[in-house]
Amino acid sequence: MIVNDVVCPFCGCLCDDLELEVEGNRILRVQNGCSLSEATFMNDARLPAPIRRTTSGWEEIPYEEAVKETADILRDADRPLLYGWSSTHGETQSVGVHIAERIGAVIDNTSTVCHGPSILAIQEVGHPGCTLGQVKNRADVIIYWGCNPIEAHPRHMSRYTTFATGFFVPDAQRERTIIVVDTRRNDSGGIADEFVQIEPGGDYAVLSALRAIVRGKESIIPQKVAGIAKEQLIRIAGICTNAKFGAIFFGLGLTMSRGKYKNVRNAIELTDELNRHTKFVISPMRGHGNVYGSNEVFTWMTGYPFAVDFARGIAFYNPGETTAVDILRRGECDAALIVASDPGANFPRAAAEHLAKIPTVLVDPHVNATTPLSRIQIPCTAAGIDAAGTAYRMDGVPIRLRKVIDRGYPDDAEILKKIYDRLNGELGP
Amino acid sequence: MNCILNTGRSVSQGVYVEHKGSEEYRSVASACLLNTVDMLVLGIEDGARVRISSPVGQVVLTARSSDGVARGEIFMTIGPYANHIISSETHGTGMPDFKNQKVNVEATDEPVLSVGELMEEIGGMRYDR
Repeated sequence: MIVNDVVCPFCGCLCDDLELEVEGNRILRVQNGCSLSEATFMNDARLPAPIRRTTSGWEEIPYEEAVKETADILRDADRPLLYGWSSTHGETQSVGVHIAERIGAVIDNTSTVCHGPSILAIQEVGHPGCTLGQVKNRADVIIYWGCNPIEAHPRHMSRYTTFATGFFVPDAQRERTIIVVDTRRNDSGGIADEFVQIEPGGDYAVLSALRAIVRGKESIIPQKVAGIAKEQLIRIAGICTNAKFGAIFFGLGLTMSRGKYKNVRNAIELTDELNRHTKFVISPMRGHGNVYGSNEVFTWMTGYPFAVDFARGIAFYNPGETTAVDILRRGECDAALIVASDPGANFPRAAAEHLAKIPTVLVDPHVNATTPLSRIQIPCTAAGIDAAGTAYRMDGVPIRLRKVIDRGYPDDAEILKKIYDRLNGELGP
Repeated sequence: MNCILNTGRSVSQGVYVEHKGSEEYRSVASACLLNTVDMLVLGIEDGARVRISSPVGQVVLTARSSDGVARGEIFMTIGPYANHIISSETHGTGMPDFKNQKVNVEATDEPVLSVGELMEEIGGMRYDR
């Protein structure tokens, strides 16, 4: 059977034009997808049943026992941490927030180690953004700053920018100017009209220099800024101010390097500056399929997009204090529930190390680097493959993930609901 | 040799991201891209092993030459190998220095550990089934 208009749940592009050939509970072929998408659908090895770590190895346990033990761990904890959420649908994220409120936990999502700093910058100066459809149909200048779409979002260029035919940009490859700014000459830089190789940690200075040039103050700029010649900076500023519609996409090259959220703030303020001359927008290249959704769900339920601490009975937000890495680094939490993510692989050593010291429960379909650090792992559906639900694309557009096959696993929302019900019954009104 | 560690995504890291116990994942996540001139200075060839040390730990990786990487910089894909040597300090932002970790690079003959072995070094127990 052929299933059309399937949404790929892997990255923040949420490409919704895939065609899958399905037979029973097996996916035979993926069309239109990138290699990440093919691997997501075709090479989906799952943990077969819940497992528990013992002193001598791992044992399989029934779902009910795994749920009961998880509820016991969370109920007995003084400072539980609930973390992850970006590779599942909004319905699961919502149950997670309810659990956090019920037990006074800290709940954080993976944006804490990707675009958390972008959110901090947006909270300071706002977000002049737009949907990807606007970029596709209007933008004649595209800047990729500190990101590598060819590797991380392989269809971003073909669906929305470099190679995408737009309503006002019918001959995309000739009419769009692509600028790539990075510390490393990567594959995306290789196809840029203008590649800007910046010295590591030099983003803030280069953004400031561009702002000054756009303001007409080029005389104060030194001959080189963070390894970039003044002539190139002036040329880039000229391309930007002469654009009909410009779009900046930025990645972790800004959020993770020196300056962090101040880099992003400076990039947003450059966008603001450019809007005095023409139309310019800026947006983060969100990584995980539904990481934007975790920010949306957290925000509408708690008022804050990540790092929400319910220890006081109300939502409290203080990144740097209530963020997952900091709580783990300080050895503060005494239990952890990890859902749809892999902090064992993605957190710095000391933070991952603490997960192994405390009772950690992982709810995730796959064996990953957090599995060895956990006490229990409960396998579940994978959103967009064998579970339907809502996810948010990197530009904030909600898209319904489809259930393509049934592999007999329970939905993670269902597992968490059982944990919540158990906690609710035990903790009383 | 003192370098700055930069990390990021790659297609092959993404393809094997849900197969962290596989040889393919180990191969991509434990690759350390260095500038060709830096490799000459270290006296190593493509495929040789290097020990990367930082104040928080050390890890053995496979060196790969890359002209796209600037001198004094090394590049790795995000994952457990890079995180084995990245500090958890976030400077009050929640975000560690994933692209700005000072490290030391030296040649070694030691083997590259598997993800399970790395996790056992920090108190975990590998799951091989």
